[in-house]
This record gives sequence, C-alpha cells and structure tokens, in this order.
Amino acid sequence: MRKVTLTLKVLALVLAGAFLHYVLPQHDVARITSTEVIRMDFTRFNRLFFAQPDSGNQEFATRDIRLINTVRKKTWLLGFIRRDAEGVMVYRNEDTGWIWPPYFKFDSSDLQAEASANISTPDKPKWVVITHYGWRNRFFTVYPNAVAIRPVSGPDVTIIPWFNIFFFLFLGAAWLFVRAMWRQFRERSLDPALESAGEAWEQVDERASRARGRFTRWLATWRGKPRR
Amino acid sequence: MGLIRLIVFGFIALSVIYFAISVYSRSVRREKLEKWWAEENPGSDDMQARAAYVERGLKEYDNSIRPRLILLVYIIPTVIVIATLIAVNWN
Repeated sequence: MRKVTLTLKVLALVLAGAFLHYVLPQHDVARITSTEVIRMDFTRFNRLFFAQPDSGNQEFATRDIRLINTVRKKTWLLGFIRRDAEGVMVYRNEDTGWIWPPYFKFDSSDLQAEASANISTPDKPKWVVITHYGWRNRFFTVYPNAVAIRPVSGPDVTIIPWFNIFFFLFLGAAWLFVRAMWRQFRERSLDPALESAGEAWEQVDERASRARGRFTRWLATWRGKPRR
Repeated sequence: MGLIRLIVFGFIALSVIYFAISVYSRSVRREKLEKWWAEENPGSDDMQARAAYVERGLKEYDNSIRPRLILLVYIIPTVIVIATLIAVNWN
C-alpha cells in the first residue's frame, strides 16, 4: 500500500512538473533563418498542443500556422547551462487569446514581422532571445509557441528568468497559505465536529451494549443452569 | 467570446478564493480573541462573558480595514492581467 501511494505521489509530481515545463516561459538564444506559413490539418490529439486562431477570427478544422525557423544554441538542464553546440528549432507563432495559456498574446502578426526583420545568415548573425512556451515534438507535429523576440548583441547574454523566479516564490507562498488554511479548518471545524460525533457514537455504543447485556441475561434465564 | 469567458470564470474562481480567505481570516481572529480572553481572565470559566468578548472583538474586526484588504484578491489578478496584456503586446 505504501508503495502504491509513493508511486502515485511520484506520478503526480512528474505530471505537475511536465505541465509547468510546458506552460512556463523559457528563453532560447537563437538566430532566425526564415519565417513561413504552413497549413495545418489538426488531429484531435495534436490540436491540444495548439492555441486558438487569431483572436478576431473564427475557428475551423484547418488553418494556417505561422512558423519561425531558427538555429539556436543548445542547452542542458532545462536551459540553465548553455552549450556551444547549435541545432535547428522551429517555433509556431499563434495568438493565445484570453484564455489558455494566460499569455494574453494578440500580436502574432507583429511578432512575425519582428522575426522577419531579424533574419540573418551564418556569416553575419543577428542574435535574438526568443521567449516561448511549449514543446517541439516531431512525431505529433507540435511546436513551441514564440511569445516575444528581443535582439541581443551576442550569443553570450545572461538571461535571468524573473517571471519564473516570482512564479515559484508565489507558488511556495500559496502552498504554505493553503496548508495553514487547511490546518485552521481542521482544528476549528473538523476536529470538534468529529469529536462530538465520536461522543455521540460512544453513547449509542454504550446503550447498545447495555441492552445486549440485558438481553443475554434474559436469555440466560431460559437455560437450565444459570451461569454463576 | 474569450474575454467574456475569462471574466465569468475568473470571477467565479476569485470569488471562491475570496470566500475561503474571508472565512479563514475570521477564524484566525476568533481564535486570537479566545486566547486574549484566556490571558486577561486566567482561570475564569464565565462562558457568557467570554462569548460576549469574542463577539465584540469580531464586530470590531468586521469594521476594520483587514476584511476589506481581502478584496485585493480581485484587484491584484486584474492588474496582473492588464500588465501582462500591455507587456506582451506592446511593440
């Protein structure tokens, strides 16, 4: 039983971590090589990994997706350690609209223009920091969504993930607060209620056993030899 | 419409949080009042005076600024949404 709960706990932790890894913003140092638009015919599964159409438009089964093709610096450890190695990366560029994930991005067209303005060649690279969320998956044709593009002087910029720092601080504070609330609720409302319920149950139990005692005594009177 | 959905569901979610924090804050205050009473009147078991003391303290609490500060539950997320909206879409 303890192994089962442990497994469930680990599983929940992994799922929560994967969820946060998908949704929270990350920064890549990259140079943009081109931009393009392709038509996507979503399946029910990979539709989950795309946002909605541009906020003024209507939803159809098929739509055009803006892509940004880049060469980016590879990283280790969720982007904390930057490597010298480079690899290609393709970002989608979609409005997230009002709902989910809450980036409130409506400027996909402008971002695409910005991306086009920063296209460069390997001989004369223009480096940019691309803020994005999401995953790239080749098997399901899923792209991370670019949220912002910021030109930088070189590939060795220091990036401090302010949003994530504050987000995790907030998450920790919220966790402590919810725990305090739960403890207060248990101490002030749940435990007294349980206690009085327990007392009531004990009374019932006592009365029942007294009745049982009477009943067995009565039964005993029918036996040939009364016990003691 | 996305905006309407955001407002409706956001309002519901924030109301749940607002209600929970209100109940929690009041409960903490009640506990404190009971402790203060015990400190001021050691060994007393005049339950009626104690209840009156706690009720008076809670009324004072209801009229203070503290319960109104919980309204920040509605204000802060709205400000954050507007700030994000501007930061992300500003060109």
